[in-house]
Order: sequence, then C-alpha cells, then structure tokens
Amino acid sequence: MESILVLTHADESGAVLSKGSLESVTAGRELAARLGAELTIGIVAKDASSAAAQVAGAAKRLLGVQGEAFAQARFASDAAACEALCRAAQATIVLAPHSSRFARVMAAVAHRVGGLIDTHITAIGGAANLEATRWFYRQRIEAVVSREKRPWFLLLDAGTHPAFAGEAAPAQAEEIAIAVELPALRTEVKGTRAPKQGAQTIRPDAKLLFVAGAGWTKKQPDGQIHVEDAGELILKFLGASGASLGSSKSLVDQGGEGNSVLPFLTHLNQVGQTGSTPRHAKGLSTCCHGEEPHVVGWRFVGERRAVSLDPNCGWTRGKADVVYVADAFEVMKRVNALLEDAASGS
Amino acid sequence: MSSAPQPIDPQPIDPQTVDVDRPMMEVDIVCAGFGPATGGFLTTLTRAWSENPADPAFESKVAPGMPLQVMCYERADDLAAGVSGVVTRGEGIRTSFPALNPAEIPMAAAVKEERVFYLLDPIGARRSALLRFGDIFLGLGRKSWAKDHAFELPWTPAFLHKRGGMVFSIGQFNQWVGSRLMAGGLAQIWPGTPVSGPIFDGNNGKGKRTVLGLRLADQGVDRHGIPAEGYMPGMDVRARLTVVGDGPVGAVGQKLDEQFGLPAGHARREWALGMKMVIELPEDSALEAGTVWHTFGFPEPEIFGFLYVHPERLVSVGIFVPSWLGNPQRTAYRYLQHYVQHPLLWRHLQHGTMRSWGAKSLEESGKRGEPFLTGDGFARIGEGSGSTNMLTGSGVDEAWTTGVQLGEAVLELLRADNPFTQENLAATYEARRRASRVERGAREAENARNGFQGGFVRGLVGMALAGLTGGRLALPAKIPPAPKQIRRFATYIAGGLTVQQAAKVALDCARPLHDALMSARGWPEIAFDERLLVTQQDALLMGGKVQAIPGFADHVVFLDRQRCIACQEKTCIAMCSGQALTLGADGAPDFEREKCVHCGACLWNCAQSPDGERGNIEFVAGSGGLHSAEN
Amino acid sequence: MSNAFHIVVCAGIVPDPLQTLEPTTGPSGPGIKNEMVLPAVLDPWAASALFEAASLAAKNPGSPQSPSKVWLVSLGPKAKLQQVMMSVAQKVSFELVPVDGPIGGFPDAQATAAVLADAIAAIPGLDRERMLLFGGWESATRGAGVTLQLVGERLGIADQFQGVDQIELHEDGSFEVLERVEGGKHQVSVCAGVPAVLGWATGNLAEPRNNPQVGMANMRTIMPALQKAKTATLDGNGLHYVSVSLPKQQRTTRVEKNMNADEIAAELVAWIGAE
Repeated sequence: MESILVLTHADESGAVLSKGSLESVTAGRELAARLGAELTIGIVAKDASSAAAQVAGAAKRLLGVQGEAFAQARFASDAAACEALCRAAQATIVLAPHSSRFARVMAAVAHRVGGLIDTHITAIGGAANLEATRWFYRQRIEAVVSREKRPWFLLLDAGTHPAFAGEAAPAQAEEIAIAVELPALRTEVKGTRAPKQGAQTIRPDAKLLFVAGAGWTKKQPDGQIHVEDAGELILKFLGASGASLGSSKSLVDQGGEGNSVLPFLTHLNQVGQTGSTPRHAKGLSTCCHGEEPHVVGWRFVGERRAVSLDPNCGWTRGKADVVYVADAFEVMKRVNALLEDAASGS
Repeated sequence: MSSAPQPIDPQPIDPQTVDVDRPMMEVDIVCAGFGPATGGFLTTLTRAWSENPADPAFESKVAPGMPLQVMCYERADDLAAGVSGVVTRGEGIRTSFPALNPAEIPMAAAVKEERVFYLLDPIGARRSALLRFGDIFLGLGRKSWAKDHAFELPWTPAFLHKRGGMVFSIGQFNQWVGSRLMAGGLAQIWPGTPVSGPIFDGNNGKGKRTVLGLRLADQGVDRHGIPAEGYMPGMDVRARLTVVGDGPVGAVGQKLDEQFGLPAGHARREWALGMKMVIELPEDSALEAGTVWHTFGFPEPEIFGFLYVHPERLVSVGIFVPSWLGNPQRTAYRYLQHYVQHPLLWRHLQHGTMRSWGAKSLEESGKRGEPFLTGDGFARIGEGSGSTNMLTGSGVDEAWTTGVQLGEAVLELLRADNPFTQENLAATYEARRRASRVERGAREAENARNGFQGGFVRGLVGMALAGLTGGRLALPAKIPPAPKQIRRFATYIAGGLTVQQAAKVALDCARPLHDALMSARGWPEIAFDERLLVTQQDALLMGGKVQAIPGFADHVVFLDRQRCIACQEKTCIAMCSGQALTLGADGAPDFEREKCVHCGACLWNCAQSPDGERGNIEFVAGSGGLHSAEN
Repeated sequence: MSNAFHIVVCAGIVPDPLQTLEPTTGPSGPGIKNEMVLPAVLDPWAASALFEAASLAAKNPGSPQSPSKVWLVSLGPKAKLQQVMMSVAQKVSFELVPVDGPIGGFPDAQATAAVLADAIAAIPGLDRERMLLFGGWESATRGAGVTLQLVGERLGIADQFQGVDQIELHEDGSFEVLERVEGGKHQVSVCAGVPAVLGWATGNLAEPRNNPQVGMANMRTIMPALQKAKTATLDGNGLHYVSVSLPKQQRTTRVEKNMNADEIAAELVAWIGAE
C-alpha cells in the first residue's frame, strides 16, 4: 500500500505556497484518490501555519517546518527541513514541485532517507505499478519509468497540473510544527537580482512566448544591419503583449563575439537544446530558421506561429502551425501599431 | 553617373605578414591534416617505435632524452569527421593491418557483390539527341535486359573491380586509426586546429624548396581575420619534417603550390564534388552488406553515382558532379535527390531514412595535378599529392599507401641519421612511390578521363580505351582551367528560359536560382517526405552538423568582389553544398561560416578568374565543418 | 591574498547536441542508436563548469607549495573519453580522472553518482577541505540535475548551489554565488567558504581558444590516466523503463507566402488576443 507525501514550499512572501507547490498538491490528490493512498502535505516556509491555510482541506495530514531559517532557499536548511518532513511522514511516494528551491535539495534528501529520485516528471500514470513520464536528451526522447524501491521521490515539472485552489481554512493539522535540527548554516541568501540590462523579459506565466532569432541582427534588404530598430520593436512588442522573450542560441551567442547584439538578451533567454524548455500556450517565432536544436525547446509550447523570410525554413516542415513568409521588421512594426491602437482605444 | 561601389569587405590580412608576439614550438615532425594518408604515415611510424622504443633513431632532436615529438593538426572538430563512403580494394591498408577484420570498424564490410549500371532517364527531355537515341535503343530491350530504367553491364571492367576489398566509412575508419594511434603514444593528433599555412624559409635560394614548419590559424579574430576580443595568434610549429596531407583543398598544400608552382606540364583543373547520403534501409531490405553498385548516365550523363551497403542496413548513396559538366547552375544536392529517386535505387531506398549527409571535393587531375612531392623539410602525401587513381575511382588506399611510403622513408632516414633534405626525401620517399603500384595506377589513369571534355560519349570511349589497355591508349585532350569549364549563361539555355525569366521564377518562389532552373528544365519538384527527401537546410542538420567555433576568420574569401557582382553564373552559390553561399544584397555572394561543410566546391566552381587559371574565390584555413561520424 | 582551490569537475560526455537521436533497446536497457558511432562532446553545462573552474584556478593560483588544481572526473567508454579529450584538452589545464563505464542518459543517476563519488574520494592529493565540486546543473542526456547533488551529498558537502552563473570570491575566503531561479532572475547567496558544490548553468565565460601547448601539457597525464582507467558497473537501482519513444510532433503547417505585412499583423494580433 502506497502512502504519499507532497512537499511544498512558500513563495518569496514566506507565508503563501508557491504555484508549483499547489500544482503538486493537485497531483498528490489525484494520485492518492487513484491509489487509495493516504496523503500528507509537508510545508517548508517561514510561516508554515499561514501557508497551511491554503491547503487545509487538501489532505488528512499536514506537516510543517517553519522559522526564520526557512525564509531562505538554501541547501543546508531546506534539505534538513525536507528530511525531517519525510521522516515524520514515512511515505512511500514523495511528490514535490521541480522548483529551483526543491531541485537544489531533493536528490540529497532522497539519499538521506534511503530513497531514489526522478525529476522533471511531466505525468504520473499506472495504477498497481506507478509509472512516471519524463524526457531524455533535452525533450527529444520520452520515457516512462517505474521503480520498485521506495521511497520514490518525483519532482513535477511546472505547469503539468492545475494549481490546487481549495477554500482557505484554518489548518487543523495535529503536527503542524516539525522540529528540525539544523546544521551550522554557512550560506546566507541575500535576495534576488534581475538581469542588469533593463526590463525583465522572461515571464514564465505569460500566455505567449516570443522568440527572436539571429535574423534580427543580420543584413536587411537595404544591405544594412538594424539592431537598434530590432531591439526597439521587440521591447515594444513585449511591453504591449506581455509576452515572455526567448531567443535562439545563435542570437544569444553573438553577444560574446563583440558584435552588436540586442542588449536585453542574455543566456537566460535561450530556448532550445542548450537552453530552456518553457511552457506557454502560444509561441511566435521571428527571424529564426526553426532548426531542430532550437525547436526541441518548444516541446511544451502549444500553438506555434512563425514569421520568416525563408519559405523553406524549418518551421514550414511541420514544426509550426502557421508560417508567414514575410519581413519580421515590417510585420512587427504593424503588430505594435495595432496593439497600441487597441490599448489606447480600450 | 556614380562611381563604381567599393568592395564592402576589407581584404583579409595575410597571416604570414602579421608581426605579433607569436608563440613558437619546436617538434621533430609536424603533419597537416588527419586523413587516410596521415593515418598511414603515423601508423607506420608508431608501429616501428612501439617495437623498439629504445631505438636511438627515435630520440627527439628538439627534446633530447624524449621520444620523437610528432604532432598532427586537423581542422575538423573530430577525427571521425571525414566525409566519404568508400569502396576500396584496400591493398595498402591490408598490408598495414594483415589481420584486419572489417567487423572491428563500425560500418565496414567486405565487398560481396559488384555491379555496374547504365541508368536510363525516367524523366526525359534533357538529354542530347545521341543519348536519347541510345536510351531508346536500350529501352527497346527493356523487357529482356533492362529493368527499373537501368541497363546492367554484363560484366564489370577489371579496372573497376574491388574484389577482395572493403566498403567503409572514412569517418569511422579515421576514428579507428586515430584512436589506435593516440593509444600508441608516439603521435598526438589534435582536431579543431586548422593550419593556416607552411612556414617558408625567407632565405630560399633559387630552385630550392624549403619548409620550416606549420603556422596554426589565428584565433580571436573577426571574420576578416582582424584581431578582436581574446586574440590569440596561431602558433608557429617548427619541425625538422613537415608532412602535408591536408587534401586537395587544404590550405598548406595550396600555399605550397602557390609558392613553388607545379612541375612542368602539371595543372589542377579537373575536379568533382562527391555528395552522398547515409541512409538507413527499411527493415525488410534485401540489400546485403558489401553490395557495391556503380552507375552512370543519370541524373546527367556526366554524373557518376554509387551505392555501397554497410552492415546494419546502412547504405551510402551518392554522386559525383564533375567540373566538366558545363552547366553553370549545376547543383549537387538537387541532383542527388533525383538520383536516389531513380527507379533502380528508389525501389530499395524509398522507405529509408536519411541518417547523415555530406560532401567533399575530389581532385580529379590525378597524376596530372601532382605537385612537387618533396623539398627541404617537407613531403606531400595523399589526395593533395595527386595519388588518386581516376580510372579505378580509388583514392583512399592510394592515399594510405603514400603515407606508409613516407613513413618507411622517414624510418630509413632516422635510422641512418640523415636529415630530411629534398635529396634524401626524394631518394627514399619519392623513389618508393615511383616504384609502386600507386605510380603505375596513376600513370595508367593519367589520360583516362580526357574524353569527357568533349562530351559524355567521348568520355566513356576514352575511359574504356585507357582502362582496357592499361593506359597505353587514350584520347588526347586539352583541358581548360576550371573557371573556363563553366559555360556562360549567355550561351547556355536552360529549358528555353532566359536568365531573366529564370530569375523571375526564382524570385517569385523565393528559392535559389539554380533550384528554379532545375525545375524550369523539366526536373520534377521534390516531394519532401521528411525522412529521406528533405530540404538542403534540414539535411544540414540531419547529417551535416556543421561546427563553426567562433573566433576564426572566414575561410571562404572573395578576392575581387566587383568580379563577383558582375558575374552572371554565380556557380559558387549553386554548387555550395551547405548553402553557406547565398546571394548578398550587393549582388556578390554572402558567406555564412556556420553552414560551411568545407567541401571546397567554391574553390573550383567559380566562373571568374583574375589570373586565367584559378577562380576568384580563395579557400583558406578554417576551423570546424561537418561533424558527422557516419560519413 | 591567494586562495588555493582543489576544484573537481564532474563532466559527462554526450552526443553532439546537433545529432539526430533515436532510441533503441538493447539487452541492458534503452540506449541511443549508434551511440558509440555518433560524435560526442563534453556535456555543454559541464563544459561551462570546467571553463569556470580553470578560470577560477588561474585567478587564484595559490602558492608553489600549495597550488590550485583542477581535476576532470568523467564516466564513459574509454575510447569515447579519449576522443572527446582531444578537443577538451586543448582548452584548459586539468588532470583527467576517467572511469570506464557505460555511455548515455538512461542509466540511473544515483548509480552514476555513487561511482563518481568513489572516484573523487580516491583522488590522490585531493584536499577535500579546499574542494569546490563543480559540474553541470543539468545535462544533455538525462538532464535530471541530481547527479552532482548526490555526489556532493555522498562526499558530505553541506553547501550546494545549482544553476550557477557566477561566483565571486571575497578576501575572507567567502564567496558570492548567483543561481538561476524562476522568472529569469538570479538568487544571490554568500557562502562562508569551501567546500561547496556548484552546479553550473552557462556561466559568463566564452569557450577558451584551442591552445596546442595546453593540449600537449594535458596529454602527458591524460593518456596514462586513460590507460589505467578503472571499469565501473552501474547499479540498476530497480529502474525499469516501461517505454522509450521518439514522439513526432508533426504539425500541418499553413505557409502564407502572399499576405502583406498589414494582413499578417492583423491576423497575428487576433491570434494573440484569442483565448
């Protein structure tokens, strides 16, 4: 008989569970219902009691670790907290969000409690034998795995389940405060820092992913390079549409070679084989060939459109839903104008 | 009227003239390029050393007390990045490895069956009257002795036979040889390190040919070679002996030819581009490993083709597009797509999947393009030394053998403690080569392809004549320089279209001119199936995997852009294997290093010639290229 | 002042990211078709880690008695390791600690970590109190992001950072680390000092140039190390593959060649706004 522990953590406020955590709660509840397993929710937060209110009705048992030390996403304290929760829950299956905070510690936690871990899980299937789906070789190969050994830790990719939204209620969990013996803490988290160059362009929750390819910095029909115009068009579009900015590797790489390149782009924006694989409902690619190493980063992008001057580019080969053979400078100029009109009209 | 526009790109700096704080290193032997020839050379050396490492002959002169310091520099990112599916009799290779079992080398198989086909044209309308007549004549008997639009030669001419030989992938063979060499411990082979050229002796007397070593390519430069962020001047590697095995388009070989010229009466004017796919056959394929087909007659009469079956249902299928195909808009990739769809081949290939793809220039002048093989401090081996036998269509084993011959010569000189002078190298290496089957074969083949300058039928007659008489009889020929072999658009009519009309077709469909012209000439459009028939750009990714490490200069350089702008033919763009050359905004070709597979086709597919002999394009040292081990 | 670091970089070898990959199932489980034939490279994330390690060691050379040092620990088939080292060894100085073993992303990460931790523990002369354990935060094969963490845990290192793009040393031996977190931001942490584990993202360094002299110096130790490389077998840890497949996401693409920019813009804006 399986028993399930869902590990969750608070967001930056310290008292509210992160979106990924709430998604894991949904996954845990679904799984518990399917397996008829007992469900426990564990919380790591500065103020776990407040955070627990969000999931008060989600599970029979709520466990929490709280205190100033857990305001920070830090390996030593988080690993100790998760370890304590696992030992208290004694579950066979441990689900947790694949957040930067838990990805940093969960393998170590699994090792400490004699368990095994699989990460980047996109689906959990199977009944008698639990089966987890994940991707290998940068979203190129999909595999379904199972393990006999328990506890089995599964880190769920963001966006694979809806966030749990039960009614907030005061938590009645009997063991809300688990005591944790902390090791000497040698690391202090000072906060977060956005990329130096101007506006924040990566918006994981945006509906639309806008990808800029290397074509933006190449010679245009007049024989000249118009990087400044390109930058202006792109930023304006991001501002008007609320889209998240992605880039092909070749465009990001240009930054290192002394070429003039879009100043707000960094390696963090890179989508693809050696970049990220974001989840968005829609994706619009511009000035990008749509070559396979880039397109593997689009695995979790729903509807896909592309604007490219090359009618034979990769996007036309079944990688996008619509390809407009056109000059992206011209198209985006008009798109921006339309968005502007709409904004001023409303 | 405005004055003529100025060239946009500044001229690259000649690395030889840059005076910087350049690092220098001394070794005993330095090699340019790692292919079969250098493989043969280093194998011979390493083997002798490993038999008796204490032999004083192997003591380094530059690092006393140490064994010989032997370095080899290769521009490709991997030793396995050679491009060629090969069938070879492999006599030289088998002499080096008597116990060689093809099963040890991925993709290698013993030759099992060899057939030659004349391919009829299933599409029609583009052949000469004479050929059409021939096709009809052969076609009449289709039911009895021609099927699948192909006529099988009742016998394979002896000169073509590869009986007892092997089918393999050059990439895998190089990998196999390279790892044995590295494990052997004498030689170090460094991939990803292009050599910009030889270091000449400034005090060269008249008639003296001296090379002091190799200069590696500068890094941290912009595309024109001008120092930029992280500039690192290429090292001078000075050596007692410089071994030049960098192939027919290698920078070192080219610079040697520029400096020393070619022996009287020699010229490099005949070329071909070999382009092929590695295809995984469907599971029910009846083709057996070791099967070898040679074809001619299709897609153009002048284009020869091949199919070699490797183990595990892999097959290399390719064509050779020669310089004497006068069509200024010749284009290998489209031809290759039509070739694989010929009924004879398509029957086996149509449910296959392209695993990989590649292209390479072949030096087809053979003996006639042979350079000076030796000089003070240097020797030339392999394809770039004119070792390829154009009659038997064999080059790998010959290249390997010249490497072995140099290896044996070097051992002889080391043991006698004789210096690597021109005289000594001539007496040892050149003498061995002249007395060998490589030389005999090269002589037999010397005039075998003469006839092709006068057309396909004449070419076949000439080849048969030379082949069947061991080279004693051949057709005479006056072979024009490569740029002159390209016919002018003004005199070349494609399907009745003028250039303007074709250009309009190309513009309307937003496709390259050569591609539009193929369609205009009656070639059917390619029905892409995303498995085997894919766009050229997709092929580049499915198999090409071009590597272009940043920080190196462009290796394709247009000497006089005004000539390029004025050039109507722009054959360089049509023949560019990776579509790395495209029509730029100013009317001259643009070069994208990130797509270049280093096939070298641009070097000889240029209709413009500033000096009447060579084209307007320089192909200099460059890093990277195709990163595909299955080739 | 000059810190002396012992930096151990864990780095796998992976098929060149540009290769076409196809899964296949053999007697020992799933694998990549022709994996031994495909050209391989050092894992891109681990390569960043190696270049950062070399840069850190170069900036903090230590003293002649106690110099900074970089080791590269890699598990893979010996022949393949040798091949990849020919490219990597020209870039930065390191000593190779090879372990001859299976290739690819399908073996269990905890088993890989156990082998790597043992190999590191056995490095002669490694001062674990001065150790920085580097590696990629993810990989181009399994991409689980757990191997390095487990190696660190097995070696008892209590400060770990993942998705690192920058490390900045302070005079007192402490250092600031930038880790990638959600939303395109970096988390800034200060750690009191080594030992620590840093799983690198891309970092900020350009790939070093090929330097023939660095290559020659490295080769003196790399080839003997390869010849002596121990063979490791990996524990399956009960990992069972139910299926391994290559999904084809072939869409029906509408290619619009004749729309003008106004029409396209109008269609795009409508599409962006639609639910």
